[in-house]
Amino acid sequence: MDVLMPQLGETVAEGTLSIWHKKVGEKVEANELLFEISTDKVEMEVPAPAGGVMKEILVKEGETVEVGAILAILDEGTDGSVGTTEPKPAPSLENNSQHLTHSPPAVSATAVTPNQDPKRRLSPVVRKLVAEHNLNPDNIGGSGRDGRITKSDVLALLQQKLSASTDQAFVSSTGSPSVDGKKVIAFNRIRRVTAEHMVRSKSTSPHVHQGVEVDFSRVDRVRSDKGVAWKAREGFSLNYLPFVARAVCDAIVEFPLVNAHVEENSLVVYDQVNLAIAVDLNFEGLVAPVIQNASSMTAVEIARSIAVLAARARANQLTPDDHLGATYTISNNGSFGTLFTTPIINQPQVAILSTDSITKRPVVVEHDGEDYLVIRPVGIMTQAFDHRAIDGAYSAAFLRKVKEIIETKNWEAALP
Amino acid sequence: MAELTYREAVADGIAQEMERDETVVFLGEDIAKAGGVFKATVGLYDKFGPDRVRDTPISEQAILGAAMGAAMTGLRPVAEIMFSDFLAVCWDIVANQIAKSRYMTDGQVSMPLVIRTANGGGARFGAQHSQSVENWSMMIPGLKVVAPSTPADVKGLLAAAIRDPDPVMFFEQKSLYPSKGDVPEGEHIEEIGVAKVVREGSDVTIVALAAMVPRALEAADRLYSEAGISAGVVDLRSLVPLDTKTIFEQVEKTSRLVTVEENPRLCGWGAEISSIVAEERFWDLDMPIIRITTPHIPLPSADELEDLALPSVERIFKTVRQGVD
Repeated sequence: MDVLMPQLGETVAEGTLSIWHKKVGEKVEANELLFEISTDKVEMEVPAPAGGVMKEILVKEGETVEVGAILAILDEGTDGSVGTTEPKPAPSLENNSQHLTHSPPAVSATAVTPNQDPKRRLSPVVRKLVAEHNLNPDNIGGSGRDGRITKSDVLALLQQKLSASTDQAFVSSTGSPSVDGKKVIAFNRIRRVTAEHMVRSKSTSPHVHQGVEVDFSRVDRVRSDKGVAWKAREGFSLNYLPFVARAVCDAIVEFPLVNAHVEENSLVVYDQVNLAIAVDLNFEGLVAPVIQNASSMTAVEIARSIAVLAARARANQLTPDDHLGATYTISNNGSFGTLFTTPIINQPQVAILSTDSITKRPVVVEHDGEDYLVIRPVGIMTQAFDHRAIDGAYSAAFLRKVKEIIETKNWEAALP
Repeated sequence: MAELTYREAVADGIAQEMERDETVVFLGEDIAKAGGVFKATVGLYDKFGPDRVRDTPISEQAILGAAMGAAMTGLRPVAEIMFSDFLAVCWDIVANQIAKSRYMTDGQVSMPLVIRTANGGGARFGAQHSQSVENWSMMIPGLKVVAPSTPADVKGLLAAAIRDPDPVMFFEQKSLYPSKGDVPEGEHIEEIGVAKVVREGSDVTIVALAAMVPRALEAADRLYSEAGISAGVVDLRSLVPLDTKTIFEQVEKTSRLVTVEENPRLCGWGAEISSIVAEERFWDLDMPIIRITTPHIPLPSADELEDLALPSVERIFKTVRQGVD
C-alpha cells in the first residue's frame, strides 16, 4: 500500500519528512513508529498505517511535500493480519530485493541534473553563499537562464539541508562533545521559529508592561479544601492557572479590546476568547497551544483543557490546528518562583499575561477603620500590551478587573 | 486628505511656507501675475502681493543673482528657472557661487534658497526644453537635489527645501504637472534624503525618480501579473542626499537592481547608484545591474521619436523581465 503524507491540520498544505524510522526492506508492524514529519509549527510522529515490509522510500528525509503525496510503498504481503482485497502479485522478498537495486525516483531526479558546464558562471551572491556554507556548486540545480544557479536555488537547498539536520540537532544537542572549551548547539526548528517570532513581535509591537499584585486567598481556600479530592478524581493537581484563565475570560467581557488582533491599520476584536497557554517543553522549547472558546468554559473545563494540551505538548503530539486562532495568551512562570516576568506578545494578539509565583506575604488590610497585618498568598500578574492598539488606562482597568474577580469571585461555587 | 494636482501642490507648498515665514519670497519669469507658464504658481501674487511675489526680466542670471543676494542677506528666496535647460545660462551662479559660499566662508554665509525648475521630457518641447538635468546638479558638491513624483511629495519636499539652510535644486517634472494625488490637509513637510519604497518586491528592485516612478510602478504591476516577477519600486525623491540605506536594504533583499532614469545614458544618476551598489553590495548581487535610460542623444521633438527615446512602461517591463529570467 502507499504511505501518504497525512493531513497535518486543516490549514496545512505541506510538511517536511524529518526522520524515517524504517529502511527499505525492514519489517514494519502496524501502528509501529514509521516516520516523523514537521511543519513550521509542530513535529509529529506517524505510525505505520499497516504492517508489512518497506518496499520503497519515495520521499527522502528533509524533503517537503504536499499533503497526500506518496512517501513510501509498504508491501503488506508478509503481514497476514491486514485485510486487503488487492491481489498480491509476487512474494514480498523478491519484491524487496528487486527494489533494492533500483534508485528511488526522488534520488535519480537530483542526480541527473547536469552541473558540470565549465562555462557556467556564479553570480557574486551565489559565490558568497556557496563559500559561506561550504557547498559544491556542481550539486546545486540551476533554475536561471541556461541553467544558471540563482540565489533562490542556493537558499532553497540550504533550507532543505537545515530542516534535515536540525532534527538530529534536536536529539543530540545536549550530548554533543565540547571542543576548545565550548560546544555549538544549532538552533532546532522550534528555536528558530521562536527566535523569528520574538524578534518580529518586539519590532512590530511597542510593548508596555503593567503589573498588579493579586491576593489569591479565595482561590487558595478552594485549592486547600478541594485539592486532594480533585487530584484523586482528575489525576492532576489543581493549580492557580485555571482560575486566572477564567478570571481573564470574565474580565474580557467588560474589556473586549484586549481580546483582539492587530491587522494592517485596524483592530479585529473577537467575540469568543481562544486562550493560548504557554507551555515549556522541559527546557527544549516553548509552545502556546490554544484552548478554543475558553470563554464558554467553566474553570473546571479550562483546568482539564490545560492539562490535556500540556500533556500533548510535552508528548510532541500537538497538531498545527492546536495553534490556530489564539486571541489572548497566558504564560505561567510561577512554578520557578519568579516574582514577575515581562512577556513578549504572541503576534498578532494585543496582549499577554504572565502569572508568577504566589507566596505568603504580610499584607496590610483595613477592617472597621483599623489597619491589620495579615498573611495572605499574593502574586504579581504582569500584562504586556501593544500600545498601537490600546492605551495604559484601558490595560490597567482590565488588570484591575482581573484582580477584582480573582479576589472576590465565589470560587467555591465554581468548583464541584 | 485633499486631492491636488502636481501643479497645485507647487503653489500650495510655497503658500504654506510664505504664510509661515515672512522672509520667504518668490521670484521668476511670469510667475506672478501670469501664475507661471505651467500655471504652477497661480494665486500666489494675489495672496502675497508684489513685494514677495516678483516677476523678473528674462534673465536667468538676474534671477539667481538676486536670489543669491537675498539669501545672503537674510531672506529665504524661492527662484524659478522656467525650463531646467536654462540652468546652463546661469550655471556659474549655481555651481561656482551658490553651491560654494558656505564652504568658502567657513560657514559665515549661508544660502537658504530654493531653485525650482520644470524638468524633463514627454511634452514635445524639443531638445532645448525637454532635458532631464538633475544629474548636472548631482555632480556639484554643495547642492541638494530633490525631484518629487507625487503631489504630496511636491508640497512636503518643497516645504522642507524652503526651510533648509542650504541651497536646494528642486526639479519638477513637467509631464507630471496634471497628475493628481492625495495631499495631507494642513501643514505638510517631508524629509529630504529619504527614499520611499513605493512597492515591495522580492525578485528585483527598480529604483526610479520623478516621472519614472509611475512608469516603474505600472511596469511592476505588469511584471507581476504577466510574468510572475515580484518587483519592488523605490522612489528616490532626492539624489543629494542619497538614501543609500534604503537602496542597500532592497538590494540585499532582492539581489537584483534596475535603475530607471530620464537622464541621457552617459553619467546619468543611475550610473552613480550602480557604481555605489557595485562597490558596496557586490556580494549581494545575483544579476548584473541594469540601467534603463534615455539614449545619449539630444531629445527629439517628434512625438513618436520622443516616446521611443524616453524609458517607457513597455521598455521597463521587457528589460526587467529579460534581465531577471
